[in-house]
Amino acid sequence: MSLPAYSDLNSTWNFIQPGLEFILGAQGDQGVTSKMYMHCYTAVYNYCVNKSRKSDAGSSLASSYAPNADNNSYSLAGAEIYSKLETYLTQFIKGLKKEPHESLLEFYVRKWTRFTIGAVYMNNVFDYMNRYWVQKERSDGRRDIYDVNTLSLIKWRNEMFQPNSDVLIKEILDLIEKQRNNMIVDTSLISTAIKSLVFLSIDANDLKKPNLVIYVNSFEKPFLKATEEYYSRESSKFLAEHNVVDYMKKCEARLSQEISRSNNYLEEHTKNPLLDTLNNALIKNHAQEMYDQFLILLEQNQIEHIQRMYKLLYKVPDTLVHLADTLEEYIKREAGKTLEEIKVQAESQAATAASTEGTPGVNGAPTRSRRSAGSGVAIDYKTYINTLIAIYNQFNDVVIKAFSKDTRFIRSLDNACRHFVNKNPIATPTTRSNCKTPELLAKYADGFLKSTSKEADILDMNADNLMIVFKFINDKDAFEEHYRRSLAKRLINGTCKSDELEESIIHRLQEENSIEYTSKMTKMFSDMKASEDLKADVRNHVGENLVKEFNPLILAQSMWPFKYLDDYNLNVPSELQAPFEKVIEIYGSKHSGRQLKWLWNHGRAELKANLSRKGKPPFLFTVSNVQLMILIAFNKKNSYTFKELHGIVGTSRNIFEAHLLPFTKYKLMDQSPPSSGPNAGFNDDTVLTIVEEYKSKKLKVNFISNIKTNEPKQEEDEANKEIDEARKNFLSACIVRIMKSRKVCKHNDLINEVMPQTLSRFRAKPLDVKRVIDQLIEKKYIKRIEDNCYEYMT
Amino acid sequence: MSTPKVIIISSDDEKFPVEQKVAEKSILIKNMINDLNPDGLEEDFEIPTPNVRSNVLSKVLEWCEHHKNTVFADDEDEDVKKSLPVEEWDKNFLKVDQEMLYEIILAANYLNIKPLLESGCKMVAEMIKGKSPEELRRTFNIVSDFSPEEEAAIRRENEWAEDR
Repeated sequence: MSLPAYSDLNSTWNFIQPGLEFILGAQGDQGVTSKMYMHCYTAVYNYCVNKSRKSDAGSSLASSYAPNADNNSYSLAGAEIYSKLETYLTQFIKGLKKEPHESLLEFYVRKWTRFTIGAVYMNNVFDYMNRYWVQKERSDGRRDIYDVNTLSLIKWRNEMFQPNSDVLIKEILDLIEKQRNNMIVDTSLISTAIKSLVFLSIDANDLKKPNLVIYVNSFEKPFLKATEEYYSRESSKFLAEHNVVDYMKKCEARLSQEISRSNNYLEEHTKNPLLDTLNNALIKNHAQEMYDQFLILLEQNQIEHIQRMYKLLYKVPDTLVHLADTLEEYIKREAGKTLEEIKVQAESQAATAASTEGTPGVNGAPTRSRRSAGSGVAIDYKTYINTLIAIYNQFNDVVIKAFSKDTRFIRSLDNACRHFVNKNPIATPTTRSNCKTPELLAKYADGFLKSTSKEADILDMNADNLMIVFKFINDKDAFEEHYRRSLAKRLINGTCKSDELEESIIHRLQEENSIEYTSKMTKMFSDMKASEDLKADVRNHVGENLVKEFNPLILAQSMWPFKYLDDYNLNVPSELQAPFEKVIEIYGSKHSGRQLKWLWNHGRAELKANLSRKGKPPFLFTVSNVQLMILIAFNKKNSYTFKELHGIVGTSRNIFEAHLLPFTKYKLMDQSPPSSGPNAGFNDDTVLTIVEEYKSKKLKVNFISNIKTNEPKQEEDEANKEIDEARKNFLSACIVRIMKSRKVCKHNDLINEVMPQTLSRFRAKPLDVKRVIDQLIEKKYIKRIEDNCYEYMT
Repeated sequence: MSTPKVIIISSDDEKFPVEQKVAEKSILIKNMINDLNPDGLEEDFEIPTPNVRSNVLSKVLEWCEHHKNTVFADDEDEDVKKSLPVEEWDKNFLKVDQEMLYEIILAANYLNIKPLLESGCKMVAEMIKGKSPEELRRTFNIVSDFSPEEEAAIRRENEWAEDR
């Protein structure tokens, strides 16, 4: 084999064509030799170089750089040989013949595999033409000239793929369907054919830029359509024959199969549209069936299947909205049912207890559930709060385990909790009643915070539970009021179980709400601490005295829920006066101008009573302040008339009588004439004489617990009044602040601006706001102008 | 078994056995080895280069041997490459007569050895740089075929490019 004449096109082409036959496999699988390869390359090289040079190949540098005598422009050769190659490729591809036994797809894949190897060889054999002529043509803007490899692919696309694409794609899709039907198929056929479509997607303008036009248009679109049809058909049929849980398992299996298929032989580009198609056909279109099943799974607490459903629906996030709503409604309904049951139970217990005692209706309820006017049976706070917590825990568990703490479902749980915590048959027996939960929660807190509770009763009560319910309470202000009242009592009675625990709860309330929210309670703690110091001071200044230990507390009036009552105005006997005066003196010297008033209705005294039999230790009486003064009087003489004694002690008659009664009732005093009944009153001239020797099995006697006043009830009313008052003040302040900055404001705008500001404390009703507006108009802070507008008055 | 060699055969049938990586400095040879031995070389592999004479081929292979471990930047930034001076070794290596330099450039182009082609062309460029037309005519043995009038006209037209 000798090389052809340098510049003759036909002899050059005739020389290289047999080599190309080998390269493209036209000669069967006979190998291409390096000699054949190099000769073809050299022939193309020689043709291009010498054709370009035109003048004779010189042997010195000078001749090759000299300007061409005929033509001043130096032109690269290649066009003719390129066009020969083009024609050859067209003919070659057209000449490929399918074997009778093979499918089009098999034929296509077989020929494609060989052709693309050949195309790469050819590209290298024509490298010299690619390097110079093709590159120059392309950089001159010719977009229909390609490197030889690309040219081969384009010829293949035009002559092989396009005429056969319909049948070819159908065969690919049929094969995929067979695979979906669990038949064994040759996936290499599918993957090679699909890969070829990617190679054939050529961007004529930028050969390096991947472009999936052929792949997407010829394959991806029909593939997605076939997928949609296949799974729509399958899912409906499956659901008609199986239950939803099995269907969900089927979905999981199908999705993972399709993902692995997509990884195996589909382009990345198809992944998302494929998932969308699958999610649509398998999940979105059957979301309703899953919703229906959801309630059943919740009933049965089938966490695993709920999680399965969540994970499927999660793939189509829109479908979760309804699931979350369903959960919310379900929790509300369940909570309502549970709380109603508890209420009914408490009522029936109350009824049973009442009937056994034979006094139906009144005073017959078990000790814990006191009957309060107008609201049916008052439920035990512990049962109530524990029930709220149990419902919360039950569904919180579902949210964590089945819904992976998805915020959508946390929100559903929160919404539902907020609903049932504030509105349920126990908290709001009638639609208009104020919610009782804040008060019951405060009682619950008092239950585990006061040292007088029995450990066994409060085992399952704790601050965490308190905080859970607190978070959901709407009327945070009402809780604060009730909590502060019980805290005040714990503080002045010294019944706090743990100061640390108390303070940590205040801290948590503050974190959950605001510093302002706990400011009064914080001040109460500091009052207590300051009082400790004062106590030490007073002890140092008052020497030996009738009073062994004195614990004065100085409490800021606006922080503490205690009221000074004129009814309790006492006369302090001279032997007790010293410490009281010292308190006033020391405190006055530190804080001039502050007024101190003794809250005689609070506090207690312990006194030793030398009324025992000879040789026995004295009794220890726990008494109220009023009772203390009564007993001190008996140090002077043994008998007084009621009127005398009342004159010495002070206070209103009612109060005096109420505090005196336990003494006669428990035989510390004799009364003459004798009482007409256990609770009968006294006459002015009833004579009261203290016994010489008191008889009691216990050394410690408490006379306070039997003082009958109507204070508890009063206190509840007082708390509610304070809450009301505080709300009005808050609303007034809010409205004035808004009006001050706005000057003029429409009624509805004002209401809309006020409402959200109250949320951290309570839920204001529009009517309440209206009332406050009217008050402010009366007080001339604002005035009404034209219709439905207010103006701020300076 | 020793590592298979690539045996390059010159147009005058002289055989040059070299290491594969030396031969593969030629992209043409590299592509062909890959195409014809997709699983790698298993035995000595002969490659005829019908356009290169043995004296030139030995020179080219000397360059390939020297640069067998050089990594040439495969960057597309032609301008940066163009402005770099010829590397010192290449400069000495290419200090040959004009005839040989020309043959080396042709062989580098034929065998597709880009860095060698570039060095060769730069050597020629340096031969041109800073020379007057008369000097250039002498250097490259060019006979002036302009008439004095033509030459004057060309000088006038290109006056702007004169270095003054």
